[in-house]
Formats: sequence, C-alpha cells, structure tokens
Amino acid sequence: MRPDVSVVLTTFDDPDPRVVRSVLGQSLGNLELIVVGAGTGGPGGGDGRVRFVAGQDSGGRGAARNDGLDAARAPFVMVLDAGAELTRHACGSLLAEVERTGADFATGAIGWGQARGRGTAAAPRAGLYAPRRVVDGIRAEPRMFLDAAATNKLYRTAFLREHGLRFPEDVHGEDVVFTSTVFRDARRFAVVPWPVRLVTAGRAGDDAGDMEDVRRRVRAARMADARLRDGGAPDLVGDRQRRFLVHDLREHLDGLPRRSTVWVKEFAAVLRPYLDELEPGVAATVDPMVAVCCHLVQADRVDDLVVAARSLTTPRAAPRHALRVDGRTYWGTRAHPGLDITGLGLAELPFSASRIRHEVTEMTVSGTVVSMTIRTYDPFAVLRRHRTVADLVVRGVRVRLAPRRQPDGGYLIRAETDLAEIRPGRDGRTDALIRFTRADGHHTSDRLLIDPATPPLALTAGGHRITVGPVGDSAFLRVRWRRAGARRRTARPRPRVLTGVRVKEWVYRRLIRVVRPRRDLALFESAGGAACTGNPKYVHEEIRRRGLPLRVCWSVRDDAAGFPADVPLVRRMSWRYVWLLARSGYWVDDRGLPPGFPKPARTRYLQTWDGFPGPGGGDPAGRGAAVTRWDALVSPGPEFARVFVPATEFTGTVLPFGSPKCDVLVTGDPGAAARVREALEIPPDRRILLYAPHPGTTAGDELETLAEALAGQWVIVLRAGPRYRVPRRVRPLVRSAAGYPEVNDLILASDALAGDCMPLVRDYACTGRPILIYSPGGPAADPREPVPGPVLTTPKELVAALADLEDVRERHAARYADFRALYCAEETGDAARRVVDAFFHPHERRR
Amino acid sequence: MTVVFVCVDADALGGVQQVTHTLAQGLAVRGYAVRVAGLRRAGAPFRYVERPLYERRAPGWGTPWRGVARWWGARTLREAGGGIAVLTCPEVTGLLAGTVPEGMRVIGQYHGSFAQARAGGRLAQVRRHYGTLDRAVFPSADDAWRFAEEALLPNAVDLPGPLRAWPDTTSYLDVPRVLGVGRLVPGKRFDRLITAFARAARARAGWELHLVGDGPELPRLRACAAAAGVADRVVFRGRVAAAELGREFLNAAVLGLTSEHEGLPPVVAEAAAHGMPAVAFDVSGGVRSLVLDGTTGVLVPHPDLDAFTGALAGLMADPARRRRLGAAARAHAASFRLEPVLDRWEELFAAIHR
Repeated sequence: MRPDVSVVLTTFDDPDPRVVRSVLGQSLGNLELIVVGAGTGGPGGGDGRVRFVAGQDSGGRGAARNDGLDAARAPFVMVLDAGAELTRHACGSLLAEVERTGADFATGAIGWGQARGRGTAAAPRAGLYAPRRVVDGIRAEPRMFLDAAATNKLYRTAFLREHGLRFPEDVHGEDVVFTSTVFRDARRFAVVPWPVRLVTAGRAGDDAGDMEDVRRRVRAARMADARLRDGGAPDLVGDRQRRFLVHDLREHLDGLPRRSTVWVKEFAAVLRPYLDELEPGVAATVDPMVAVCCHLVQADRVDDLVVAARSLTTPRAAPRHALRVDGRTYWGTRAHPGLDITGLGLAELPFSASRIRHEVTEMTVSGTVVSMTIRTYDPFAVLRRHRTVADLVVRGVRVRLAPRRQPDGGYLIRAETDLAEIRPGRDGRTDALIRFTRADGHHTSDRLLIDPATPPLALTAGGHRITVGPVGDSAFLRVRWRRAGARRRTARPRPRVLTGVRVKEWVYRRLIRVVRPRRDLALFESAGGAACTGNPKYVHEEIRRRGLPLRVCWSVRDDAAGFPADVPLVRRMSWRYVWLLARSGYWVDDRGLPPGFPKPARTRYLQTWDGFPGPGGGDPAGRGAAVTRWDALVSPGPEFARVFVPATEFTGTVLPFGSPKCDVLVTGDPGAAARVREALEIPPDRRILLYAPHPGTTAGDELETLAEALAGQWVIVLRAGPRYRVPRRVRPLVRSAAGYPEVNDLILASDALAGDCMPLVRDYACTGRPILIYSPGGPAADPREPVPGPVLTTPKELVAALADLEDVRERHAARYADFRALYCAEETGDAARRVVDAFFHPHERRR
Repeated sequence: MTVVFVCVDADALGGVQQVTHTLAQGLAVRGYAVRVAGLRRAGAPFRYVERPLYERRAPGWGTPWRGVARWWGARTLREAGGGIAVLTCPEVTGLLAGTVPEGMRVIGQYHGSFAQARAGGRLAQVRRHYGTLDRAVFPSADDAWRFAEEALLPNAVDLPGPLRAWPDTTSYLDVPRVLGVGRLVPGKRFDRLITAFARAARARAGWELHLVGDGPELPRLRACAAAAGVADRVVFRGRVAAAELGREFLNAAVLGLTSEHEGLPPVVAEAAAHGMPAVAFDVSGGVRSLVLDGTTGVLVPHPDLDAFTGALAGLMADPARRRRLGAAARAHAASFRLEPVLDRWEELFAAIHR
C-alpha cells in the first residue's frame, strides 16, 4: 500500500532514537520514514515502514535531503533533522489540513520542551501561527517569511517536483533558501496554531557566535534573495530580508558585547556588503535598536556598535546619549535617519519609568565590602529635570550615593556596599540596582552594566559564598549566594510532614470540636488573599468607623503590600490561619474560603461574592458543601439574586442592600482623581481611559494602535492580567494599574471605561460615566442582555467613540438606564452600613 | 471490531446517554461488537433501546472513589482486547485517558459547545486531556474549529449526535401553539421564552405556549408567566415520555429555544424531523448547524430578546412561511438521521486506522 506521508530524516550517524520514535508513533500510521545517510541499523530497524537510503558523500545536508525527497513515494512529504521531534498528531493534522484546503503545503507552530507524550506542548511563539488559516500566497502575508524552518511543514510532493524545488547543496542554512522558494511558488498554504514540532536541544544555531556561521548566514541570505529575484518575485526580497534582520542578524548582535574588538570589526566587515545591498526601507520595519546597529555596521562605528548592542537584551539599557530634534529622538549625538529611535518611546516616559544607563568601570572587593566606580549616562536629562536622591540597592540594603556631575552631562558615582548586610536566606540571587527617588516618593531604578570580561568576585559572608559578576548577553551585575558547605544539606529534600492541606483539614475538623469561636474575632479575606480590596475591605472600614468591638485579621497570600498597617495579617493556609478559622466568630470573604474547612456551628459567615454571575467550574458536590457554610450573602442587585442564588442553591439570608464596595462609587470621593494622577504620574491635561481587556488577552497590536491614536489627549490606565505585555513604543502613553490595588479610585479618576468583564462594568455603571464595551477579536464570552454602551471590536471604533463621548452617552442613554435598572438598582451608597447592621448586630442583641 | 463507550452514568436519563445508546445500537446492527459501560450504578435506570444488541455493563456501587472508578474503567477497556474506546465526557476522559491499553484507539467526546466549555470551566480539562487521544469529537464544525484553534487540539473533528427515530408523519403546523422543551432549570432560560411569547401573542388570541419538562424552576416560571399577563396561556405539561414527544411536535407550530448554552440540542433536530421550524438564540455552532437562518428557522443574536420576539411573532403570523421553513427543516434534518451519522462514525474509525 502506498504511504500517505513520507518523512525524510537526514543524519550523519545513527538516527536519534527519540526522533525516530516520534515519527513511528504518529497517530497517522500509514507513513514511511526515509533515513538518509546513515548505516542500516539503529532504532526502528525492525519496523517495515523505515527505509534506509545511502546518501551521496558530498553536498552536505541539502544533498542528503534531496536524495530523501527523490526517494519519497507518498503524495505528501515532511523533512526532519536530528533533535526535532514531531508531536503525536503532526503528520495527521497537517495532512488533514492540506487535504481540506487544497493548499500546497501546511505549516505549524514550533513548540519548546519535551514531548512528554502529550499532543499539545508548551505555548508556541504567539502571533505567527495563530489563527488557523489559509494564506493565498506569500504576498497576502509577507511576514510569514519569518517562518523559515523547513521541518515544521508538510509539502505536497507533486508541488515540490512540479516547481523543481530542492534544497541547495553545500550551503549551510539551506532551510532559509529552500523555504523562500517554497513560499515564492506556493499558490496557497495553510497555517495551524498547534505545535507540530518540538525543539528540545538548545538554540537552533548552537554555533552562533562563530564567524563562519555569520558568513554562512549571509551567503544563505544572498542565495535566498537571488532565488526570489530570479524566480520572478523581486518584490518579495525586502520582506525576506526582514527575516534576516529579525532573526539571523539578531542572534549575533545579541552576543556582541561579549566579543573582542577584533571579532566585532570582522563581523562588521562581513556584514557590511550585504547590509549595503538591502532593499531600501527594510531596516525601518524592524526593532529601532536593530536598525541602529545596522546603521553603525554600515558606518563602521565598531565601538558604538557594541554600546548599542547592549540595549538589545535584558535589561535593555538606555543609550548613552540621545538627541531630540523636531520631536524625533536619535541614538547618540547626531541626527541621522538611520539612528532614529523615536519608536522606542524612551523620551516621553514618566519619571518612575524613565531609563538611565549605568556602566560599572571598576569593581574591587576587600573583605565583604564591594567598591565600584560607576559611569552614569542620563540621555533624557531626567536627573536634571527632577531633584532626586540616589541609592545603590542590593536586596533591600540601600547605600546612599553622591553622583558627581561630569562635563559631558553624565555622572560619576563611587559606591561601597557591605554584602555581609544582605542577610541571604537560602540559595538565591539578586540584581544590583541604582534607584533615584524623588521627594514625592516616586522612584526609578536601573540595573548596572558591567564589562562582560570582568571575572566574578567571590567572597564569604554570613555562612554563604557570594559571587558578584556579570550575567547575560549584555552583561549586567548580579549577586548570587549559596550556603557554604551546603551540599550535605541540600542533598536531602526538605521534609514536608504536617504541611499538606489534607493534614490541616484533618486537624481542623478535630480542633473545632473543642475550640469555641470568639465573638470578638473576625477573619477577613478578599480575592483569595491577594489584596485588601472589594467588599470585605469596605465592610471592615465600616466596622472601624463605628468602633465595633471586633478584632479583625486579614488573610494574605503572598504580598502584604497594600494591607492596612495596623491590622494583624495571617498567611493563607498557614497553621495560624487554620487556628483563626476555628477561633473566629465571623468569617467575611468574597471568593470562598478554602472548601475543605467546615464552618463551626457558632461561627457566622458573610459571603460578599465578587464575581458575576456564579462560581463556575469545580465539582458541584464540593461547591454545594462550600455554599452551605454561608449564613448571609450580599446581593448587589435583583439580577444577581435571580441568577446567582438559584445557581448556587443558597438558602440562607440574602442581604439586598447593594455592595459595600460600590458605596464610594455612588457617593463619590473628591480625592480619588488626585491620588491616582499623583501615583500614576498622569498630567492634569490628559483624560483617563480605564482599559480592562479580557483576562485571557496577552497583548497586542490593538493597544499600540489605540494608544497612538489617543496620544496627546488620553492616557490609558491598563488593568490587565499578569501575562499582558505592553508594546514598548507605547509605554509612555499607558500606565499599568498593577501597582495600584484600589480599583475604586481608578474608576473614580477615569473619564471612560473600555472593557467587557462583568464585575468591573457593573461597578463602573454605578458612576454613570460612559462605558464602551470593547472586545477586540470578537465579542467576549458572555454577552449579557442589556449592555450599557456600544459594543466595539476594533481600536478604530473605540477611538471614534472616544472622540465624541457626549454623543455616545446620549445615543446609549436608554441602554445604560436599562443596565443600571437590572444590575445597580440597589446601589444607594449606603450598603456597608446596612450590611453591617444586618449581619453583625443581631448577635449583639442576642447576647 | 470492538467499540466500548464509557459514560459516568450509562443508564441515567440524559442527552449524552440518549446519543450513546442510539449510536451503540446502530453500530451493533452494523456488526460491531459494542459495549456501553458506566462507572457507577444509576439510581433509576432508563431503558433507551428496547432490544439492545450490545452489551451493557455497570458496577454495583454508587459513586465510587476515583481510584476504584479508574480501576473499573481500565478493566473494562482491557477486557475489550483492542478496538476503539469512546470516552463520552471530560470526566471519563480525564480519568481513563492514561489507562487505555496498548493497541486500543481512543476517541474523546465533548457534547457541549465551546462557549459552554469556557463558561463552565471545562476548557482547561479538555485542553489537558483531549490532545493525546486519537480523535477529539465535538458536536459541530464550528465548535471543533474553535477547540482546535484555542485549545490547540490538532485532533478535533465534528460528528453530530444522531436522531433517535425518523418520524413518518410531519406536523401540519396548524395548531396555534409554541413549544418549549427541556428541563425547567435556570440555564434553559424559559423565562425569556415566556416573555417573548407574551409580547408576541398580545395581538394573537388563541395562541398558547406549552413547556414540556419539569424541574426546580417551575414556581418561578409560573410567577413569570403571571407577571407577563399570560398565566392562562402558558401550559406547563410536565415530563413527557420520549415516545410521546412526537405527538407534541405534531400538535404545535413553532419551537422556541432560549437557552443560555446549548451543544447540539436534540430537541431542535427532532422538531425539524417533524417538519417544525425553530426560533433560536444563536448560542453555539451546534445550534447554527441545526437551524439555518431563514431556511429552516430563524436565528437571533444571543441576548436580543426584542429580535427573538419579532421572529416569533413573524412565524406565528405566517402559516405559509412556517410550512416552507418546516419542509426545509425536515429535509435538512435528514443528515442527522442515524444512517448518515453512522456512516460518518465508520469514516472516523477508518481515518483513525489510516
């Protein structure tokens, strides 16, 4: 029977057993594996689907692959190399995709890490492979040239043969040449977002850094360009060259700070002719710092090239000097279009995000005291515009510094810090920072660059071996410590007896038989201990205002910042927490206390549920047990009572007074706007857009478009999940609300809301301010009946709506009113008082 | 070839079981050795097939410990000695995916829609367990696509659940009655149907809304009907045996579907088989595959109750259009008959062994 897919594997010795297994274990069984260039032994030798083909002796991997392609009998073919495993459904899913779409080939994402027998693996590089789609020729989507690997694709054999597509021989980097011709000739190709190939070895080019590798890559790039030009597609050359700058060049640029001057000189010399023949305008489409490096290579400014290359990787250092002319920012001291770095947005950053470059020029150690001489560059004159004090910060230890102004505008700093003071815990590490603090408490810190050739200093302090030295491609200063003679201790894992949840639940259940809850003790928790916020916070404030005889403890999960200073905190799920659960007469919470802890009979539990509509997921039986613990439930409105209460089958008291956290939104707080503007450094002439993207969103071009269109009038305050990445160039226009825990202040300070997440939209509606339901990439999961404003899906629509807010407000007034009637009808600004009256007082009377 | 279906409750009353037993019988008739296994004893066993040609297995215990359930499930799969295992829901898949014996092919089913999985917290479970299986089966092409794209499942395919039976007679659609079928639970949102009916029937005396099914929402829905002023025109029929349901379709004119979530609602397919058009909220790919807007019924954007009312009123007012849509619905429903669905299952089996 003819196989459906031929997989060509080239090796120079026996094939990698993992790769062979991954092919023979494919869910698509009807395939053949063609091993080129090896002996006839090795793993899989017993499987009839494996064929061994003796390759030519010359021509390298490209020739061997061509032999494999010639030997392929199946209508579809894949190419593999050693170290590239396939995921289990790779052949089957790509084959189905090609058959379904009639494409010439299908390409899939490349995953990182071990296969672990799973169909899906680590998340692939976002963007390029999502969404699943069919592309009608590379001209429809030229950025797909970035996908230059040959091994994550399944080709129609007839397509390759018809166009005579073969791997070039005797060229290293034959993938780049081959895929550029494949893209050139394909009428249509399919793209799938799931990983089809896993990379387990280190970086793809493990010989990066070798000058020969630079030459090979340039040669391959030239050859690929030539094949496009000669093959009737000269218009695509620029897009393909972009791949060279983004990927091939970048790999070598990143490592430049570690190279010798001679190497860098040769590197520039090898590269220069190719950069000179790049299509015009290509450099402008890549990261501005890469473009600057290209310009410096072409201008043969080798020393400056190394300085610039240190801005490419962590910590993405600021330039030494920058020049601002006519609203553009230039790297260095000359205004040349090739040095334009306006796109990085460095010049307009607010003080607490501003960037300063520190270079350690000299470092010595005596005893445990490390002395450094630091050359500081302040390219955007931050230190001249603000009065600041400077500190060297190493893991909480601060040393005051005295920067001395230099004639060239920079500063010279001498710093001495005693590493014996840092009191290291277990093994660990920290980066040294220099922090400038303004009188109003705002501060900005940057890491210290150091010559990568500096040998690390080693010293012993407090029973630890401490090393201080450079790390990373751009070499910044890091302090690491390791317990001296710790080998004996670390060999044994820390005992985990009596720390498991089950043990605590068991002890707790016995504890509550003998311990009686105290009437004057209450345990508060909000957002699972993540912060002191939401309904419990406002209930607590009301209790304090009245001076009720109640001692309140707050549960905290990891970071205690933002909790009131005068209130005892208890770490969630610690033994003390278990004790407090048993001992407290009142529990107040908004997301559910740990489910395995039944409530003692005399304890009263106030549930102030924060989400909407209900506690999704989980085991229904366990959820039921958790719900029966509640004595009273704060209901923000009739719709909540209608949906949530039956869904949870809660039968206790519902307190229909509105939610305490919304009181301040109804009554207002004149200080909130000033607090937010001060904390987030928002100028008084800008309006504030509170932007809350859907929790799953990770980033995007949409924010870039949005922020640029709103620049000058609006500042975006972003309330997003931890995985949301703000594009660098719009950072001056966006403030993250992550460091500002009180969402009510943000709501009160903002002029409009763009978002689609339910609890926030509902709370916002209490203020009566305009709400724009914004879900980029299609409507969100749960469109609920009335929405309080227009539903927008593109940044353009959002910008248009923001341009005429009054009009939006008028047109959607009826919907807004409907929404408020349904969700905020009970919000009168008096909820905290009535909730505390209803919940805490009956006991006082009963006693 | 042996095919083993594994459910949590193989003999309890439910849509998943209905589909499973219908498929099992169909495959058994085609010559497969079929087993339907449950992981626990059903409280009130329900007989889906009069004379089953397949083997049924259920343990003697109620809800077992996880380990026991896994052991039992693994033993059932082992005893089949190869063939194909069909794990009918995420719970079963999570439990048994790692215990499938060598040489046995595994198909995981999820009967809900993508939106349902995401809202109900099942998406993570599906993402974790379904990627390793030979195929992951979803009720509609749209859902399979979204699972493939967002849960990164390379093996997602779609197969509809089959119709239980194919009626010989079709409804004349002349009884002035709107039908709602389903358990009276909050997720079905019959209150919306009552509200829409009340508004649509204001000018049309003689029309009634019949709700078939029982459940905890009954008092609330009664109150809702009273508040809308149609207490005397909304008839709560209680539970009706599956065999009798056909008569309900014959004695009504329009089916209304206002659920919050639906996978591939079998009631819409059955109504269509009886030649009855449906008005439905566009909540999932399953609903879209059953109700072709303007051809076999009317689809309305999900939360828009006014549009739903308009669509319902339009069909109530126009008997000719009802018949036209109804005839098209019956023709469309033919693709959900048992035979074509079984053909697609056999194609799937062949694809797995490719």
